[in-house]
Amino acid sequence: MPRVLVHRLRDEFDWVLFILVTVIALSGVINLYSTGQASGAPDLYLTQIYWLVFGACCAFAVAIIDYRHYERHGYILFGCGIFLLLLVLLVGTEVNHSTRWFSLGAYRFQPSELMKVALVIGLAKFLHHDPRVEGRKLQDIFIPALMTALAMVLILKEPDLGTALLCLLIFLSIMMLTRLTARSTITLALSAPIVAILGWNYLLKDYQKERIVSFWNLFVDPEADKLGAGWHANQSMIAIGSGKLTGKGYLQGTAGPHQFLPECRTDFPFSVFAEEHGFFGASLLVLLYLILVMWCIRIAALSRDRFGSVIAIGVGSIFFWQVIINLGMVMGLMPVVGVTLPLFSYGGSSILTFMLCIGLLMNVSIHRIRR
Amino acid sequence: MFVSSRSELSEFKRRYRWMRMFVVLTFLVFVGRLVHLQIIDGNEHHKESVDNVVRKVSIPAVRGRIFDSKGRVLATSMPSHTLVAIPYYFDMGKGYARMVQLLGLEEAEAEAIGERIKERLEDPTDMRRFQQMTIVERISQEQLAAIKAHGDELPGVDIVDLPVRYYPYGNLASHVIGYMNEVSVDEVATKSGEAEEPYRSGDRVGRKGIERFYESELRGIRGWRKKVVNARGLPLTRKETEVILPDARIQEPRLGQDVTLTIDVGTEKIVEQALRGHPSGAVVVMEVNSGRVLAVASKPNIDPNKMTNGLSYAEHQALNDSAFRPRIDKTLYENYFPGSVFKPFTAMAALEEGIITSDDVIHCSGFHEFGRRTFKCPRAHGDLTLREALVVSCNVFFYNLAEMTGMDRIAKYAREFGFGEPTGIGYNNEAAGHIPTRSWYDDKFPGQFRIGHTLNAAIGQGNTKVTLMQVAVAYSALANGGTIYKPQVIRRIETSEGDVVKEFHPEVKRRVAVSGRSIDLMMEGLVGVVSEKDGTAHSTMSDKVQIAGKTGTAQVAKRKRNDGDTQAQYHYSNRDHAWFAAIAPADAPEIAVVVLVEHGGAGGEHAAPIAVEIAERYFEEIAPRHEEPLIADKTEKKKVRLPSQDSETTAASSHRR
Repeated sequence: MPRVLVHRLRDEFDWVLFILVTVIALSGVINLYSTGQASGAPDLYLTQIYWLVFGACCAFAVAIIDYRHYERHGYILFGCGIFLLLLVLLVGTEVNHSTRWFSLGAYRFQPSELMKVALVIGLAKFLHHDPRVEGRKLQDIFIPALMTALAMVLILKEPDLGTALLCLLIFLSIMMLTRLTARSTITLALSAPIVAILGWNYLLKDYQKERIVSFWNLFVDPEADKLGAGWHANQSMIAIGSGKLTGKGYLQGTAGPHQFLPECRTDFPFSVFAEEHGFFGASLLVLLYLILVMWCIRIAALSRDRFGSVIAIGVGSIFFWQVIINLGMVMGLMPVVGVTLPLFSYGGSSILTFMLCIGLLMNVSIHRIRR
Repeated sequence: MFVSSRSELSEFKRRYRWMRMFVVLTFLVFVGRLVHLQIIDGNEHHKESVDNVVRKVSIPAVRGRIFDSKGRVLATSMPSHTLVAIPYYFDMGKGYARMVQLLGLEEAEAEAIGERIKERLEDPTDMRRFQQMTIVERISQEQLAAIKAHGDELPGVDIVDLPVRYYPYGNLASHVIGYMNEVSVDEVATKSGEAEEPYRSGDRVGRKGIERFYESELRGIRGWRKKVVNARGLPLTRKETEVILPDARIQEPRLGQDVTLTIDVGTEKIVEQALRGHPSGAVVVMEVNSGRVLAVASKPNIDPNKMTNGLSYAEHQALNDSAFRPRIDKTLYENYFPGSVFKPFTAMAALEEGIITSDDVIHCSGFHEFGRRTFKCPRAHGDLTLREALVVSCNVFFYNLAEMTGMDRIAKYAREFGFGEPTGIGYNNEAAGHIPTRSWYDDKFPGQFRIGHTLNAAIGQGNTKVTLMQVAVAYSALANGGTIYKPQVIRRIETSEGDVVKEFHPEVKRRVAVSGRSIDLMMEGLVGVVSEKDGTAHSTMSDKVQIAGKTGTAQVAKRKRNDGDTQAQYHYSNRDHAWFAAIAPADAPEIAVVVLVEHGGAGGEHAAPIAVEIAERYFEEIAPRHEEPLIADKTEKKKVRLPSQDSETTAASSHRR
């Protein structure tokens, strides 16, 4: 029996995924060590390791239970996510004018992170039971849209623009798997600007608007607003650029350790990494993320059922969009919104969420082979 | 129970390829962005990142000192500590409170400082928030210690050692030494291009006198120290610093050069004391055989320490409003009627042009009628030779002389002796004086020229104007046999280590084209002014040193009485200026002493005693005549009556015998 287990592990365990995740997470820890050195928090990398180990255990637990059990309880899991969001609005801790966290002693936990996973499971459950051959009409995607909208509204209430936006992107990515009729597509395309205008006027907070405007200004005139709201983006670009081809060398960076990049551990770790390891290191890290996302698509394509495919694509889209938004932010291609770099950024909630995602992926991957 | 079938997956199948393409293309965009940031713009960003953390702190160059001729310090720099801050890195909350506490500031003072910092932080586009600003100047040792000890609680705060200028002798010779104050915003912009080292706001610059004239020599070149700081403006450890800045972190400043003047503090003190009791006047003491200036005084003067450290508004106003014009260097910048001090040069013209000989006699009946006007003499002098006329300063004699000689010939000899053009001493703005000519009158007042103008010019009135320095140069030439020196106030410039950069030697401008005999005759006259019973300065004759000289009483423009003038003020302002130009010792001249007492009255009574006191004390205290000379290079002052070969050359052309 153990022999069989070893064989199964060897044959069915997704080593590629495991190695990718390990390399990215360890790079993150090593990078965190560098940022912590001069800034008075040299032991943060240890905390990160604890979270990674804890996350890996959770991922293992998630992976060994056949995902069809998740399918069966899909809506319940989604409901739990929504419940936690409601709860955080009532009893959450307010930090920087937003109520995103539960405080558990010294730790803080962010339910909106979990919501991303819950949304993926909920959407997967819906699509699993709704196979189509012909194109979908708008009313056919009404329920998944409603599920997404519910999550988004609750997250925007906190408010957390980045995560809400991410939910929308997850939804859109998953719906890309399906086929919409031409008419529905056109209707959607036309209504998008109206939604955007309404959202700008009624949903966004002033500081969020300011960041978007500052980003736009930076885009139009890179010299302007270097010291105001564009400071972060500008400092980040300076840090990345200053790494040049080969980087300044490990522990030799100036931007992160010396506090020119606030929140360099959660939002801007890539800038520090790119400064110290240069173009070679930075593009290697980007390549790892590319492989990770491509691997998600591969897992989706090889999945034995629709639920598995949607889970893989959903999780893949979380990775993809978070990488894109974070890198876009640090490279000055997108506005500064607080979105972490998957598995690389410091932060318990973030690590835990991504480890759960990895657990789901592993699960789908392990169960791809029919027996 | 687990419902699934391959066929249901067909809806998704065709989508994966598009997804892969989209993902790959998106990542390519990011790699492209990395190429742009790190490879194309890499060097630029690298420089920016270093600039981010490296703070270049300038080390001020210690300004050179100014010495008197015997090495006494006239101007030096004293260490002083100034508390500065860069507003952007300053912590207006805790940091501010701590700073106020550590400095022990008064509430009002602290509030004012807070306001100044806040003002720069208000507008995010205001670049001044990144500029170092002065918080408190000249902090005490206690404050310094407190700030140094708690520096880590005060982000953005720093202490710079800014030397302040100190003038140990205060007012003494202050117009020559000058003073300093802060550069203006305009000057930072305009001066930066020309100077070897650009000026920055907060720099001090020499404003008057030597401080200004030798600004570039005295100033030195500032150095710098590079500090690596984090985003809060706090310095990093030495190890971290070395990593970021492996190359030079310090550039020592080049110290300013020292300037040694020809001015002698001892003589200067004698001069200042001799001027006591007179609110406004000026004195020049010059070595006749070198043109070196031993002392200059322009009274009233201002303590340069006060000027340098900043005057209050009221003090400024008082200086500007003072009727005695303390800001003006009266030895150089003010034009005066020379009065009778000018007469020797009128006489020189008449002699050299052959109008008169030493034996010719002119009769003074007390007045000289010309046209409808009568030009008067204080009394009827009777028959006078030229020498006697100088002794008694007879106006009528010189009116007659002027009538015969003519304005342009008088002007020619006056210019020969250096009048009518700046002496070229260098420091401070220098007036040219004025020697009128016929063409000048034709130009300025067409058709209005009268012989009367010539008569006035002959006795140093009318449109004849001179500066004290010009008189000193001209009388030195009379004393040394006809050499016009460029007056000299600088002895040498040295590096701070004492290596001589430049030595200044006496500079001969020209030898005057007059005969030695004429000069001798003038000197005889000048000796008589003091030694003879009728001489205008006979009452001041000294038994200690034989002095030759010429008195002058220059009329001033009559002024209407202003509202608020007291009787005394009104009388004072309408009194004549008193002149005395002295040469001592008369037999072997060494120094010329020119004294002007503004509104002093008659020269013989009010200016001559001052000159005599200066000369007496000079030869008693500074250069006793029977002892070894105090100044090492006195040898070059060895008295040589110039050989009379020039009298032969000029005699042939101009002397009627």
